[in-house]
Amino acid sequence: WDDDEEVAAEDMVDDTDGLDPEAEYAAWKLRELKRLKRDREAIEQREKEIEEVQRRRNLTQAEREAEDREYLEKQKEEKEDGRGKAG
Amino acid sequence: MTHRADASSALDNRGYAGPLIRGANPITLIETAVRDRITESLYWKEQCFGLNAATLLDRAVDLSYIGGTYGVGMRPTPFLCLAFKLLTLTPEKEIVLEYLNMGGEEWKYLRALAAFYVRLTFEPVDIYTTLEPFLTDARKLRRRRKEGYVLMHMDEFIDELLTKDRSCATSLWKLPGRQQLEDLDMLEERVSPLQAELDELDEMEQDQDGDPRNGSESGASPLVRSSSSEG
Repeated sequence: WDDDEEVAAEDMVDDTDGLDPEAEYAAWKLRELKRLKRDREAIEQREKEIEEVQRRRNLTQAEREAEDREYLEKQKEEKEDGRGKAG
Repeated sequence: MTHRADASSALDNRGYAGPLIRGANPITLIETAVRDRITESLYWKEQCFGLNAATLLDRAVDLSYIGGTYGVGMRPTPFLCLAFKLLTLTPEKEIVLEYLNMGGEEWKYLRALAAFYVRLTFEPVDIYTTLEPFLTDARKLRRRRKEGYVLMHMDEFIDELLTKDRSCATSLWKLPGRQQLEDLDMLEERVSPLQAELDELDEMEQDQDGDPRNGSESGASPLVRSSSSEG
């Protein structure tokens, strides 16, 4: 069964170019725009992170700790909520 | 080094004296298990024996699909065998660029093969500058999967090589991100041919909102920046 069994041409995907140039161009355009969007979002995400780091650095020690505590409590609450639902 | 018709000098693990890619024998860029499957395959033994950088083209123009391994037996595709052959030959950069540009214009599978080789062997900055122009190549490529074939496009394959860490049964060595190289001033920002159109769209949106988006202006994303430089 694992022998050299040539696949019939109709089972293969058609890779002929230029059958419908307009549609092919439109499809490419869509792919390119998606890539640009993805790259742009990655940059924005990174900038957001840098901004957040800067903001945290500018806080005082006490402020940072307060923020952490708040975050931890929120996390704990969510965890407990989730447990309630599952049971 | 004397030229050998077979790849025995590259595959000899008692000692290797050929050219290095990033300090290692280039064939190690292909995983060991896949490497063994390649050298045991019929295509390798029958079609790749004694090829050089010129005669390899005869095989490359006959390629009809890309891919890594296929079937239950995980047999290597001719595409992967030829990529492996290229790694044992390590042709000069000019030759590879010739495959990619001139040859690739006519034979799309040759371009795909050269692009794969470029991703494995070139330096990071060169990989981006060499491969990115082909993100505009919308030609169709047939790709052999484990079972059956799928359709993809050259630009998708190039994008995969630039962003993914695995392609064609091969783990691609870690390429630094484009953004990272831009920050180090090693790479210019990529300008897509659609950039102008995109900027127009952006401006239209902004006009409609009547909101100058003062928040994002300080963020200075490159897309916003280039639109302001145009106006």
